[in-house]
Amino acid sequence: MLKVKNLHASVEGKEILRGINFEVKPGEVHAIMGPNGSGKSTLASVLAGNEKFTVTEGEVEFEGKNLLDLSIEDRARMGLFLGFQYPVEIPGVTMANFMKIAVNEQRKFRGEEPLTAAEYLKMMREKAQIVELDTKLTSRAVNEGFSGGEKKKNEIFQMAMLDPKLAILDETDSGLDIDALRIVATGVTKLHTAENATVVITHYQRLLDYIVPDYVHVLYKGRIIYTGDRTLALKLEKEGYDWLINDSNE
Amino acid sequence: MELRDLIREMVPVKESLTLTASGERPYVAVDAAHLTVVVEAGVDAHLVVLHQEPKSAEVTIRLAEGASLTVNELFLAEAFASVTVAQGASSRLKLTAVELGSANASYTIDLAGRDAESEVNGVFLTADGEHARLAIRTNHLSADCRSRSIARGVAGGRSVGEFEGMVYVAKDAQRTDAEQQNRNLLLSDVARIETKPQLEIYADDVKCSHGATVGQMDQEAIYYMRQRGLDEPQARRLQIAGFVGDLVLHCNEDRLCEAVSALLEQKLSKM
Amino acid sequence: MADKNEKEILHDLTGEEYKYGFTTDIETDLIEKGLSEAVVRLISEKKGEPEWMTEKRLEAYRYWLTLEHPTWAHLEIPEIDFQDVIYYAAPKPKKQLGSMDEVDPELKRTFDKLGIPLEEQMALAGVAVDAVMDSVSVKTTFRETLKEKGIIFCSISEAIKEHPELIKKYLGSVVPYKDNFYAALNAAVFSDGSFCYIPKGVRCPMELSTYFRINAAGTGQFERTLIVADEGSYVSYLEGCTAPQRDENQLHAAVVEIVVEKDAEVKYSTVQNWYPGDKEGKGGVYNFVTKRGLCRENGRLSWTQVETGSAITWKYPSCVLLGDNAVGEFYSVAMTNNFQQADTGTKMIHIGKNTRSRIVSKGISAGQSQNAYRGLVRVNPGADNARNYSQCDSLLIGDRCGAHTFPVVDCRNRTAILEHEATTSKISDDQLFYCNQRGLTTEDAVGLIVNGYAREVLAKLPMEFAVEAQKLLALQLEGSVG
Repeated sequence: MLKVKNLHASVEGKEILRGINFEVKPGEVHAIMGPNGSGKSTLASVLAGNEKFTVTEGEVEFEGKNLLDLSIEDRARMGLFLGFQYPVEIPGVTMANFMKIAVNEQRKFRGEEPLTAAEYLKMMREKAQIVELDTKLTSRAVNEGFSGGEKKKNEIFQMAMLDPKLAILDETDSGLDIDALRIVATGVTKLHTAENATVVITHYQRLLDYIVPDYVHVLYKGRIIYTGDRTLALKLEKEGYDWLINDSNE
Repeated sequence: MELRDLIREMVPVKESLTLTASGERPYVAVDAAHLTVVVEAGVDAHLVVLHQEPKSAEVTIRLAEGASLTVNELFLAEAFASVTVAQGASSRLKLTAVELGSANASYTIDLAGRDAESEVNGVFLTADGEHARLAIRTNHLSADCRSRSIARGVAGGRSVGEFEGMVYVAKDAQRTDAEQQNRNLLLSDVARIETKPQLEIYADDVKCSHGATVGQMDQEAIYYMRQRGLDEPQARRLQIAGFVGDLVLHCNEDRLCEAVSALLEQKLSKM
Repeated sequence: MADKNEKEILHDLTGEEYKYGFTTDIETDLIEKGLSEAVVRLISEKKGEPEWMTEKRLEAYRYWLTLEHPTWAHLEIPEIDFQDVIYYAAPKPKKQLGSMDEVDPELKRTFDKLGIPLEEQMALAGVAVDAVMDSVSVKTTFRETLKEKGIIFCSISEAIKEHPELIKKYLGSVVPYKDNFYAALNAAVFSDGSFCYIPKGVRCPMELSTYFRINAAGTGQFERTLIVADEGSYVSYLEGCTAPQRDENQLHAAVVEIVVEKDAEVKYSTVQNWYPGDKEGKGGVYNFVTKRGLCRENGRLSWTQVETGSAITWKYPSCVLLGDNAVGEFYSVAMTNNFQQADTGTKMIHIGKNTRSRIVSKGISAGQSQNAYRGLVRVNPGADNARNYSQCDSLLIGDRCGAHTFPVVDCRNRTAILEHEATTSKISDDQLFYCNQRGLTTEDAVGLIVNGYAREVLAKLPMEFAVEAQKLLALQLEGSVG
């Protein structure tokens, strides 16, 4: 589904990603961990196509296409979803209207008819339940005045609406209390199937109690320095990153 | 429903109108050169003023004690309108002006009676080659009045948008509560926004504030929307609609809202 | 009893009285009233100026003749008869007094409240100070230090003679005589003023102040100041005096020009406390000033002003941000009491890329005064990423004064972000009651609250200036409450 080869990227001339390699297959869950500033969020942004970053080297293949050639919106329409660490507020634009356009754009891309108002409303109600999102929020402006927890639930709600092939969740657990974390994580698990894949970027292993990863990658200074299974997360929680970093600094 | 059809359902007004009782149907004045409206004590009414021709218009409105009036003024042509509202004690005015292109609208609101309240909202959107001006002057002439004027402007292409606001508080207009806010978006390198949010205050026990901003599209929001599959022009239009939408949609009536928002969509597609 | 005395004293302090002292034994230094080409030539001649300077003055004068007195300000200005003004009276003599005992007790009281050292009090009041303070030696030591660094700090007349190349290059380059009515008048008849040049890369080691020159030159009616900070230099300049200058002149039309070259920085601070007229609004100075600075690449100009004096204050210290990354700042406290009027603010003209400006204006109106902020923020098409933040607050004390805000924002670049905010407030009875309850007098409480309100601006002043400014604010407010 996703093949990342020797990916280098920089921002304002400073190289952040320095040769990333990994592959995600349908049905898999990957976790990317690593200390602050290791390039985790940059990786997510680069895959989504954020124009702040410049890819200087490497290839990314998504669903058989060269991802790096595609616009931000075409990546999204093909089924790449990024759950933002800091969801953006868009004053005056209601959630319901925003998602309606997004869902129908995706359908148009696939050559499907747009949803009728009734179908859309029904879909919205169903998907809101997955993350226990108050449907009243959908008549409010996108993320405006949402609490931290609501913003993150709203990200997963949108993920449910758009039903992506690959969801990259950037620090979706940050700033959540234990109940919100459970709701968000359960939502993500519910949406997981054998056909889609999830990449979770996180600092903490507690999220991985809910979303069980097949692979755990450790990112450090723009490179994946170690890949293990879920037990790696537990070890990192207990022992930190030092033992890995010292290893890689030979 | 199209605006044209909607207007047919309203009560047409030619030159002058005195309202002695509240009615269900809104009144509508289309391209009236002179219009005088008197809303008598305690009466509640809704007036739509429409400019479809590039003409000048002079509108004089008087609200008697306790009267309440909602005005929607819509500029679909390059009209010059000067609107004066004199408000009696405890009267309520809610006025929304929408300039969908070149136009010149000036409002003077006299809060002449105690406890009068006005809310004046204005929006202009100018595309290439257009010039819009919006002036809102609120005169607090009596004590205990409240006013709020909110204006938003969007200028694209080679266009000019001007806002001129003034809150005047007379010597004895104590306990005035006045707010004036103006926010603008510049969409192009050759567009221009000029804003003058002014205060002239001669009483001390007042709460007056004003603010004005000029800014650009939020690129983070555009990125966010594109990540959800909207293309860039869509994301831009949506953001502009969001920026002016809540003001444009102060319509008092759903069908009017829909008609106005359809016109807004049309305008946005040209910006 | 005490009240009566105070009123009498105040009466004596009106401008009327000063006119008397004016005519005694100084006739030789005066020229005839009125303005003509001959008068302009005479001024130039008396100052021993070269021909090119005379021509410059005449050009300005001829232009001035074509102008009408401007009326756009929110000010009521009595008609000024420009033929009834004496345009040259230098050196402006002060009435010499024998000792401090002869000094007006009201003035003395003011000095004491301000905490001005005795020697300075004497100097300011016009007491002969030969033994106490040798201002000449102070001046000399001071100038030696500057000379070592290559800094030129002298009167503008001196500069015209000694540094004609600099004067020719810079005088009128920021405020051309065609700028406005009073700029033209000033260019024609300026009496004296200061010139300051900081060479490339030099950081001026001390705060430069006209204060040091007070006895030497006096403050003229038509003062002209030119500050040039060459590439990479820095100077902090303090204008005028912080004590209530007793001045015969009603009309003051000064021009201040500042050139901030690449990477240079200039801080210009003013505490203005000229005679504001009496409690009935009689007398007082008209302070009509044009102040402007031009900043080249990475240049930085910061204006700080505390305006408490003058019957009418009319000025807009401005920044033309010409070079990329230039920064302009304007911090102002303008206080008006009794019948004073002020129409002041700034202009920030963004021309270069990434230029930034910040405006903080605090107006305080008391008595029956009128206080207006007027400002312009303009972003030209090429000024990519320009930023401005403006905050204009008004504080009203009493219900017979006025506080006004007239900002203009003109934006022609879509990458600019401009914000303007303004609020109006009064000192609440609750605040006063709270302070009273803690044992403060109402007067002290008002002083405290006003100083808190103005703190952001006062903090921008050099330390010793700030202390005086604080006291001035409190002093100026006396009698406005309760």
